[in-house]
Amino acid sequence: MTYPRLIDDGSVWIVVIPPVIWAAHFLTCYWVAAVWCASGAAPLTPVVWAIAAITVAALGGIGWAAVVAVRRYGGLRRPGRHVSRDEPEGRKAFLGHVALLLASLNGVAVLFTALPVLVFRQC
Amino acid sequence: MTQVPDDHQPRDGGRDAAERASLAEAWRTPTGWRYVSAVNNSHVGKWYILAAFGFFTFAGLLALLIRTQLAVPENDLLSMELYNQVFTLHGTAMMFLFAVPIFEAVAILILPEMLGSRDLPFPRLSAFGFWCFVIGGVFVCGSIFWNAAPSGGWFMYPPLSSDPEQTGIGTDIWLLGLSFIEVASIAAAIELIVGVLKCRPPGMRLNLMPLYCWYVLVVAGMILFAFPPLIAGDLLLEMERAFGWAFFDADRGGDPLLWQHLFWIFGHPEVYIIFLPSIALIATILPAMTRSPVVGHSWVILSAIGVAFLSFGLWVHHMFTTGLPNISLGFFSAASEAVAIPTGIQIFCFIATLLVGRASLNAPMLFAGGALAIFVFGGLTGVMVAIVPFDFQAHDSYFVVAHLHYTLIGGMLFPIFAGVYYWYPFATGHMLSERLGRWAFWLMFAGFNIAFLPMHWTGVLGMPRRVWTYAADMGWNELNLVSSAGAYILAAGFVVFAFDVLRPKGRTPTAPADPWKAATLEWAREGPGSPWGIRSVPEITTRYPLWQQPGLKDEILRGAWYLSDAKDGRREMMVTDILDARPMFVQRIPGPGFVTIFAAGFLGAAFIFATYHWWLAAAAALAAFVATVLYWLWTGTGGIPQTPRRDCGRGLELPLYASGAGSAGWWAMFITMIGDTTAFVGLVFAYAFFWTVHGSFPPPGTTPPDPLPASGGALLIAAAWALMMAARGLNAAGRRGAGAALLLVPVAAVAGAAALAFAAFRAGLDPTRHAFDATIWVLILWICAHVAAGILMPLYCLARFRAGHMDATHDAELRNSVLFWTFLLVQTGVTWALIALAPLIPSGAS
Repeated sequence: MTYPRLIDDGSVWIVVIPPVIWAAHFLTCYWVAAVWCASGAAPLTPVVWAIAAITVAALGGIGWAAVVAVRRYGGLRRPGRHVSRDEPEGRKAFLGHVALLLASLNGVAVLFTALPVLVFRQC
Repeated sequence: MTQVPDDHQPRDGGRDAAERASLAEAWRTPTGWRYVSAVNNSHVGKWYILAAFGFFTFAGLLALLIRTQLAVPENDLLSMELYNQVFTLHGTAMMFLFAVPIFEAVAILILPEMLGSRDLPFPRLSAFGFWCFVIGGVFVCGSIFWNAAPSGGWFMYPPLSSDPEQTGIGTDIWLLGLSFIEVASIAAAIELIVGVLKCRPPGMRLNLMPLYCWYVLVVAGMILFAFPPLIAGDLLLEMERAFGWAFFDADRGGDPLLWQHLFWIFGHPEVYIIFLPSIALIATILPAMTRSPVVGHSWVILSAIGVAFLSFGLWVHHMFTTGLPNISLGFFSAASEAVAIPTGIQIFCFIATLLVGRASLNAPMLFAGGALAIFVFGGLTGVMVAIVPFDFQAHDSYFVVAHLHYTLIGGMLFPIFAGVYYWYPFATGHMLSERLGRWAFWLMFAGFNIAFLPMHWTGVLGMPRRVWTYAADMGWNELNLVSSAGAYILAAGFVVFAFDVLRPKGRTPTAPADPWKAATLEWAREGPGSPWGIRSVPEITTRYPLWQQPGLKDEILRGAWYLSDAKDGRREMMVTDILDARPMFVQRIPGPGFVTIFAAGFLGAAFIFATYHWWLAAAAALAAFVATVLYWLWTGTGGIPQTPRRDCGRGLELPLYASGAGSAGWWAMFITMIGDTTAFVGLVFAYAFFWTVHGSFPPPGTTPPDPLPASGGALLIAAAWALMMAARGLNAAGRRGAGAALLLVPVAAVAGAAALAFAAFRAGLDPTRHAFDATIWVLILWICAHVAAGILMPLYCLARFRAGHMDATHDAELRNSVLFWTFLLVQTGVTWALIALAPLIPSGAS
């Protein structure tokens, strides 16, 4: 018997990608600011631009994951119709749905992380 | 066994009796004093729960001591030193000996049955974890009777905790005792992840998996990433205390804040590690009580996974007052607000489920409802303290004490009580008293709020946490008295609960097999008297099988499904694939054994001797542990089955052996090494942290490790990995030379480790001199320890080949060993980059 492969047949990776992008974005923001502030450079302008750039990149990545997730889910027009069906398609649609929800949540979380740079001009 | 209606009766009485006899023989529980050698999940799970509640009771008594001491101002009931020990041990025991272990205990008890499995894939590992937990817990808790308990607060901040003059043996007991218990936690996490991924019943695809299993998977995964950084931190702090290595001493280039980072990278996710599995109990109880599926199944899973990730971005909110740059605080404040979104989503899903269904207000529902009410309140104060300026005011005050108890008691304790009422008939065959349940609930609910609600005001009025006593004119007298009275009411509620659970129930009628008419598979098991659990392993096609698959329960009980007997008198379970749960093979699992107790005892002895710095005795105990584990593996795992395949019934025939990525053992190794690598990343974090805060790292005047021997050492370890790969390939191809390759592995690996150490030695690095030297040495020490474990593996495999337990197609041990070496290769590469390349990069601070 052949089994569906975890990486390519399963949609597992698409579930994990949005939170991983959030984590990478979060840690990079933290690390860039920490190194910049530890070096004694007070004005944050370069940090603000760096964070703006990685935020756009992160949102782009999450958006792409969301598009793939919607495709797995079977489009947005009749949501939730077969996520609990007993067939591989049901599993795929279900993981697409979870991935889509996670993409939305992590998109919001990435925006949250970027908010402080709108407020602070100094370390 | 309980009486069942006629439909449950088997079609063929003779065959049924024979099958039952074979199951009873294979799954027989040892009797008399040998009972302690049982490893079946239904026994270990119950012991685990009882032990965790034992530690809970102990920590609760400490809490009553705290509240008695604080009831009136200028009290001297407890001495200051004893008070420090009491509150430290209260927090430590509640977090490490109750909140996390109870998750594992409950999961070990109910998860296999919920998955229609007879046991978890590594029953002896569960038993080993349980014994580690008991030994470590008794050691840590017992210390207070010798006035030697840890007294530095449950998060053990240096420089207080790193100075042996200030904090005595208690800190060592805390560091080593808890590291030992974390071994048990990680063992359980591995077991539970493999259980959920590989041991589901046929047909239970990911989209049909019960919510409880999703939570278990997510939380066990979190343990894997959260606990290892604390183990890394424990290692660093104990090295500083025992040998003077410079990690947290600012005079020698260390930094006490490093501990706070490592501790809270563990400590904040831990809050959610505690909370999510308890919420999972509610997610299981609610549909049964409301007779309706949970509203928003995918949304609840979103919430679990979302919380799991976001909770790792919150750790600095415990460190808002340490003087980090404001912009950094902003990131963590934002993440702390963001985590409220998924947390709120699952609460709304539960409320919607309550609205859709028709709930009966019995004891489990009372506790579940009380849990949600208390938790939402605690969550809202959490959003308050996530706001940095507010936290500046409330930090380390009783406001925070109130907040954390609202989240933990609402988010963890009350759901556990709900779970005990709900699953008590599952575990014992008897119901708990509904009347006593109401008394227990209202006493606890009222007592809790009377105790902790006033603490918000006490905190805002300025009372710091952990103070031993306070002056009468501070204005805190009445609030503290009320809190203390509430604590006793809460305790009275727990006494009622404990009485109800423990009282003999000989005369109470036996509970129906499925008292709640629930939908999950654990209610189709045969009853507490049948240790094999489920009669036959069914095929699942729906999310709520006992509701949506009519007649399924009768078929299961009739033995009409798979694995309805025990061939060759062996304990067996079905292993399925991760995505769609298609049957892959039948795994034979070991039965009762004392080897787990010995292994836990020797490992415990090694940690306990190390606490007292009896190094020789510790080394001897460690060697005995390794020998015991080798014996355990040799006698209990692997081996070539007598027949290659097994008829599982209904025309399904499955292999009895698997190796590589399909097998449960490979996944256990993979998951173990993920956790191991996370601990290693904790050490790498220490390096990066020092690099960021130091003007020059390595400090001026320090020679970095010699790149030539360092590179040679890394290459030799890579060569050892290549030899492992070659041995695997040659063996699988049936060609000669695998044995020679295995024999060469230790030679190359030991030479490589020695060369790494020589690189640091030649540069004159002294770990007691500066944090740079200490960090380099601890990285090398880490690799050396792994090489020591890694050279046992090829030798073990060689012995297995010689003894005829492995051959070209039965090579699970070898494949698992290669996986270990692959992770070691990656860690060696990173270590090489850090000791040979990174010192060349100019560092962060000016």
